[in-house]
Amino acid sequence: MNITAVLIDDKIVTYHLFLSCKSEEVRIHQMYNEQSNGKGRKGLSVLVGRKIRKIYGKKSTAQEVLKGIDIEVSKGEFVGIMGPSGSGKTTLLNVLCSIDHPTEGVVEINGQSLSGMKEKELAKFRREQLGFIFQDYNLLDTLTVKENILLPFSISKLPKAAAEARLKELVGLLGIEEILNKYPNEVSGGQKQRTSAARALISNPALVFADEPTGALDSKSATALLKNLEKINQQKSTTIMMVTHDSVAASFCSRVLFLNDGAIYTEVYRGDKTRQQFFQQIINTQSVLGGDGYDA
Amino acid sequence: MTLSRLVFRSMRKNLKQYYLYFFALIFSVTLCFSFTTLQYNPSVTEALERSGTANAGFSAASYILYVIITLFVLYASQLFMKRRSKEIGLYQLIGMTKGLVVRLIALENVVLFLFAVCIGMVLGFFSSRLFAMILMKMLDIDMVIHLVFSQEAFKQSVIIFAILLVVIILQLAWMVRRVSLLSLFSATKQADERIKRFSVFQAVMGFLGLLFIAVGYYLSTILFDIKSGFLNNLFLNMILILVSTMLGTFLFFRYSVSLIMNVIRSNKKGHLKVSDVLAVTPIMHRMKGNSKSLTLITLLTGLAVGIMSLSYISFYSSGTNARQASPYDYILLNDKGTEFINQLEQEEIEYEQDSYNISSVMLNIADLVSVQLEELTLFDGATQTTVIPLSNLQQIEPGVQLEEGEAYLTSYVNVLAEIMPLEADKEITVKAGEIELPLYIKEIREDFMLSEEVALGSPILVVTDSVFEEIQSNNIEETQFTSQIGINLIDERDKNQAEELYKNLADERTIAIGENDTYSFTLESYEELRKRNITALGLTIFVTAFLGLAFLLTTGSILYFKQMAEAEDERESYKILRKIGFSTNDILKGIYAKQAFNFGVPLVIGLLHSYFAVKSGWWLFGTELVAPLVIIMGLYIVMYAVFAILSIQYYKKVVKESL
Repeated sequence: MNITAVLIDDKIVTYHLFLSCKSEEVRIHQMYNEQSNGKGRKGLSVLVGRKIRKIYGKKSTAQEVLKGIDIEVSKGEFVGIMGPSGSGKTTLLNVLCSIDHPTEGVVEINGQSLSGMKEKELAKFRREQLGFIFQDYNLLDTLTVKENILLPFSISKLPKAAAEARLKELVGLLGIEEILNKYPNEVSGGQKQRTSAARALISNPALVFADEPTGALDSKSATALLKNLEKINQQKSTTIMMVTHDSVAASFCSRVLFLNDGAIYTEVYRGDKTRQQFFQQIINTQSVLGGDGYDA
Repeated sequence: MTLSRLVFRSMRKNLKQYYLYFFALIFSVTLCFSFTTLQYNPSVTEALERSGTANAGFSAASYILYVIITLFVLYASQLFMKRRSKEIGLYQLIGMTKGLVVRLIALENVVLFLFAVCIGMVLGFFSSRLFAMILMKMLDIDMVIHLVFSQEAFKQSVIIFAILLVVIILQLAWMVRRVSLLSLFSATKQADERIKRFSVFQAVMGFLGLLFIAVGYYLSTILFDIKSGFLNNLFLNMILILVSTMLGTFLFFRYSVSLIMNVIRSNKKGHLKVSDVLAVTPIMHRMKGNSKSLTLITLLTGLAVGIMSLSYISFYSSGTNARQASPYDYILLNDKGTEFINQLEQEEIEYEQDSYNISSVMLNIADLVSVQLEELTLFDGATQTTVIPLSNLQQIEPGVQLEEGEAYLTSYVNVLAEIMPLEADKEITVKAGEIELPLYIKEIREDFMLSEEVALGSPILVVTDSVFEEIQSNNIEETQFTSQIGINLIDERDKNQAEELYKNLADERTIAIGENDTYSFTLESYEELRKRNITALGLTIFVTAFLGLAFLLTTGSILYFKQMAEAEDERESYKILRKIGFSTNDILKGIYAKQAFNFGVPLVIGLLHSYFAVKSGWWLFGTELVAPLVIIMGLYIVMYAVFAILSIQYYKKVVKESL
């Protein structure tokens, strides 16, 4: 057994290498100690995932997509998850956000474990604690933009005035006041995604999950959306977790996790770097880690 | 891989999705073959001939049935082909020519039809026996029905479905050839151009729709009203009502629904409830595409319920009709048939009897009509009216009382009473021979006590005994009937024996009247009249019930199929909603509302249509409105509820699977 320390940028990550029991292949399993430029851990953890494993299929065809992932996200973080196709990014996100169940392991959000919850409780939890932004917008095209944004309140009742106030603030931040009474098919992709973001944020969630939010957008709309998300993250200290394969998008995050073959390979922190520097670092990390299979 | 193997493979793979189309086919074959087998069943034909009922109703109905089945199968195939558009596109994408694709799908349909026809004929053959038994029961005929495989029925069904198959294949070929690859892939999304803003035009049309329906309903209520003057242009007005309601129904579905829904959702100013999200807005946006089929279904429902109600009213009223024609089980007139009473005594059959003295006066009925009758010359002048004394009426209605100079008018219901209601509280003058008597009409009553042959459908005047004597003594020569004896059996179980005795009276029942006995008739017992009514109407009722059932099942299925397709279309929406935190139950709440609309509205409007249609002229068909109408409507509601539950189950499955 070997223990190696790798220095990436100014952060020390310790890797414990061990021999896999089943194969001769050396797998990297990491237990990392982070020392990030004095920032350290920010108070409460919003999201904690421990030893998450996800196996698809039955015994003979079983495929382990997530191989025991540990993850912790603190309040106010903007976390990016990157990785090649098939590395388990979306599966991880789905498991963390309660849409999918882990085969093993525990997910806790705001101190509440998701594993014991029933369908109804989970739905309520998602509605109240989580926000979602998806690549294909996931707007209902029979509803206007405003109705789409206020959709979560169709169940969790909120006084109209309060809802209106929150709506006003959000659409102001996202710059979609003009299109409130339009239908999704009448507005651009970027506007749709900002609508989707507004819907995700309207219930003041503890955590926002974004799955490839810029995937279907042109670079200009993508940048606009990411700037909006960054702004909301900073101004309202909303915790955001974003899956992306786009290095530019990832460079808006405060921390980026790299996933490979179902395990966390490494992570990088933005710290005080400019977005350009951070982008460079992400690119470098990708190339250090082999880079093959990356879409970026 | 050969073409046939490809066909079987894709069929096996698709079976889950298309089993409904397959069932629809089997069901149609069953319905068709069952009916034609019945039509050509020798024992049924024999029974019908014996009872003197025309067989023509059967062949007319079979053509209507063919039309229903054709429309149904065409619609079902179209709906299910739409869902396969992607598969067809894929075949073309991998390089199959359109001709080959058509051949592939044609072959598939041939196989499907072959199976469906085989299974359907077996089912139809056996269900035909059930229907035959029901028919015989309705006609009150005791007879064992032997099932015979009819070649004629077989031939007809095969021809019908062969033609249908050809039409469907042509339809498919046309569909495959017409559409480009690109549109094939997006066929299911055609409804996506549905999101449009709402214009003033739409609002006006929506309002017009409601107005047309209201006008149609209003006109139907005054169709037979003398005051409206409608009677003179009956046919034209019927057309007017029909067009108004049909157009109104279409506009209602095309515009009013969206209009109403849009008002509801606009009032929420963006703060929608679950039911708004899952019912109001999708319905609103789908109305453009759904309006035609919903209109058709609503009108068919209205038509079916209306016709079934009317024929059921006739059937249901056959007893009451007979009771009005013969208010007693047996009636004897003018001293004739006393032999019957002797025979009853001999056989020790218990009975009760009422005796009536009968006379007549000349009475001007127009005096009692509430409206001016300038246009209805029919009722001008005095008509001969049957009179009985009060004491006779008291035999059946012990409570009635008249002061001197007062009178009742009774036995006034049915057609005349509907068209020309009479008013009580009026002074009239009647003529008996040479004398004139002033009478005050105290009340218009609905009792029946005299044979129809005596009163001939006109009202009967009831006067005090002293006035009656005065009348009687003044016009002996004008009165054809002088007395009646009404006999009721005390024990129902003696009926068969008594019927036999009454039948054997022969001459004693034949009454001749008029100068030199120019007109003669034979009295019939209540039971004979009732049976005659039933045989005359049984087949009609059976045929309309069968067609009504076919209408119901096909329209219900179409609504169900449409809902299945909609559920599939909306799978994505459910996925979104569940992701952002709607539980299955939350979503289902919205779906219940949507189903209540989808099945409820065509049903309610269809029932309303039929209600107004039936209400306007039901009395032409019988004497009972409420019970038959409620029974038929209740049956329809139950059947629709079954379809609604089925589609809710389907939605449940889709919602559960969506995440």
